[in-house]
Amino acid sequence: MFGSIPLGWLQLKAQKLRLVAAIMGITFAVILIFVQLEFREALFVSAVRYHTAMDYDLAMLSPKTDFMVSSKQFPRGRLYQTLGFDGVESATAVYMRLVSWRNPVDPSNARNILAIGFDPSEPGFERLLSAEQLEAIKIPDQVIFDRRGRDEYGPVRGLLDAGQLVSAEINDRRVTISSMYEVGTSFGLDGGVITSDLNFLRLLPTRAKSAIDFGLIKLEPGQDAEEVQARIREAIPGDVRLLTRQEFMDLEVQYWNKTTPIGYIFAFGAVMGLIVGLIIVYQILFADVQDHLKEYATLKAMGYTHGYLRNVVLQEAIILAVLGFLPGMGIAHLVFSRGADATRLPLEMSAQSAVGVFVLTVAMCAGSGMMALRKLRAVDPAEVF
Amino acid sequence: MDAGVRIALEDVSYSFGKGALEKQILFDIGTRIQGGEIVILTGPSGSGKTTLLTLIGALRAAQTGSVRVLGQELLSAKEKSLIKVRRKIGYIFQSHNLLDSLTISQNVQMALQLGDVKGRNDKQRVAAVLQRVGLAEHEHKFPAELSGGQKQRAGIARALVNRPQIVLADEPTASLDKQSGRAVVELIQDLAREDGSAVILVTHDNRILDVADRILHLEDGHMKSLSEVVSEGTSRMLNLLEKHDPNAANYLAAFSFALARIAYADGKVSDSERDEMRRILHEVAKLEAAEVDFIMEMSMMQRRAKAGIDNRINNPAFDNERAEHFIDSLYAIAQADGVASSEELIEIESIAAEFGLTPNASSEPGSALDTNQRRDN
Repeated sequence: MFGSIPLGWLQLKAQKLRLVAAIMGITFAVILIFVQLEFREALFVSAVRYHTAMDYDLAMLSPKTDFMVSSKQFPRGRLYQTLGFDGVESATAVYMRLVSWRNPVDPSNARNILAIGFDPSEPGFERLLSAEQLEAIKIPDQVIFDRRGRDEYGPVRGLLDAGQLVSAEINDRRVTISSMYEVGTSFGLDGGVITSDLNFLRLLPTRAKSAIDFGLIKLEPGQDAEEVQARIREAIPGDVRLLTRQEFMDLEVQYWNKTTPIGYIFAFGAVMGLIVGLIIVYQILFADVQDHLKEYATLKAMGYTHGYLRNVVLQEAIILAVLGFLPGMGIAHLVFSRGADATRLPLEMSAQSAVGVFVLTVAMCAGSGMMALRKLRAVDPAEVF
Repeated sequence: MDAGVRIALEDVSYSFGKGALEKQILFDIGTRIQGGEIVILTGPSGSGKTTLLTLIGALRAAQTGSVRVLGQELLSAKEKSLIKVRRKIGYIFQSHNLLDSLTISQNVQMALQLGDVKGRNDKQRVAAVLQRVGLAEHEHKFPAELSGGQKQRAGIARALVNRPQIVLADEPTASLDKQSGRAVVELIQDLAREDGSAVILVTHDNRILDVADRILHLEDGHMKSLSEVVSEGTSRMLNLLEKHDPNAANYLAAFSFALARIAYADGKVSDSERDEMRRILHEVAKLEAAEVDFIMEMSMMQRRAKAGIDNRINNPAFDNERAEHFIDSLYAIAQADGVASSEELIEIESIAAEFGLTPNASSEPGSALDTNQRRDN
């Protein structure tokens, strides 16, 4: 009905300083939201790196295991029991434990690293290790190193890339590293080594071979994981937990999100960003409406409707949202590319999260606009005379 | 309602507040305003003239009586019909009320895009109306870049771009100096005449009263006649003069009495004669221009009575009722000291004869009571 004059935009443009302040405020809020949400997302993605990388249909673990790095053991016999069920193709026992790693060039510097052991003749790690690597770890005291681990473990990557063998000390036992695999870090994990079950037990002599941390069960092709899971569950005692791939990952994500405060903190951070943005936009729009009350009353006297004025304010809100979002997204992108290098976390802005944050920003601005509108309702055209 | 009547008010009353705090602002206002008519609404502040203007302007819904604007009854009207009426009215505000973030032509366009005709010729119409108010070369400037008078002209352009049938102006000269105020009022007058709009102009500014076809005066929410207003204002000022400078009062009174007797004795005063009189009063009698005006007007008042006598056949000041009241009150005045002397009675008869009025010969001149009875018959 109305339209040729973009009043909202013209009013914003007329007060350049306020416009810049508003855009900066929104940009800040957008960055805050992006960073918090992305760190949260990275937390979840990184927490299940090994869950994703290993090959299995069902995972067996102790009911006491909350998350991967602090796994509790359960009897290996339980895992092998599953081999008797129809549809189960293989079962791989996996040992896992944080062990002490000494920096190969600076041995006084010790640091925890995740050690993973399994029988290299069993399946489960094909996505992580090549056939040669699977052969290599059969040699005593040979381990494969995660090339995406943190730099504090020493210049292992550089030495290996240069063609040198690296010798390091794990739990006071000298090991040789001849090659690398690639997984990456997470909030609970700075790096890892994979080796055979026998080498694993050499590093941890107190561990019994019959007490394992995880069991990776692979089903015959065409088998329904949930159906097999239900059958096995029915038959074996409740001292172990049997989860599908998704349930296994959910368990880990659940732990970080709900049991630790970390998930909450990031969610809270994102909400704070939203609130900061809301307040800034509200302040700006409120001040803008306040400044233009007389003009709005004049427009009402001329015959403009309340709806028209509402649209003007909302138009301002949307324009602010767009103008604040774009630089916010750019800066957040920069932060992520730097942050990904520094933290080795999977910080990447997906199109989905960009769209999500944009929608959030528009909603934030529109919400503030709606609050500022209450002032508008008080505009009485009779007061212009 | 006749086709020409744009605004018809009947028994309009209006109150603010509710219950114990209710305060009535307007009392039984009634008038009709035609297209092409320029009506000035005056009155002291708080007299209710702004409230009346907002009622006519459909900025408030009327509470009682009848407010018909362009055929639409606004008594208890809904917001929707009020908005519809507003779009047909051009508003000119006290302090221009332009939108600061829009250029002059965009401001005008804001009004234009509310009008019935939209689209194609918008640009030309904006340019044309700005041309009319003499702002053609300022169309791309912002209000802050214009002088007060120019801003008010832009406000007028905005009000008139849709060629409204009604123009409402609230103190359009209040923030302007004498010269630009005058120019603005004349502009409103010209444009309204061209378009045949009905114009209501609220003002305190006595200098612009002469553009009006009709003056409505409000006081404490009541409509007052112009004669009442003028008499009240003048007598109050004369009393003031009497009190603070009795010598000047006497000097001026003497001049006006003398002037009425001498200068107007023959009943013929030409314009050049009048100018000469002014010059003499100014230079010989050492009177200021305003004092000269006053003496001329006062003597003219007395001269008007004489003109009435000369033109007794068709004297519009006296209809039958007024003539009767006039004579009755003269008899009553003569009796005011208890007895009407024969000199007084003779004088009354000669006055009545001069004005062509016949005192009722059949009845003896009597008491005020008698005259009242006679009127009742």
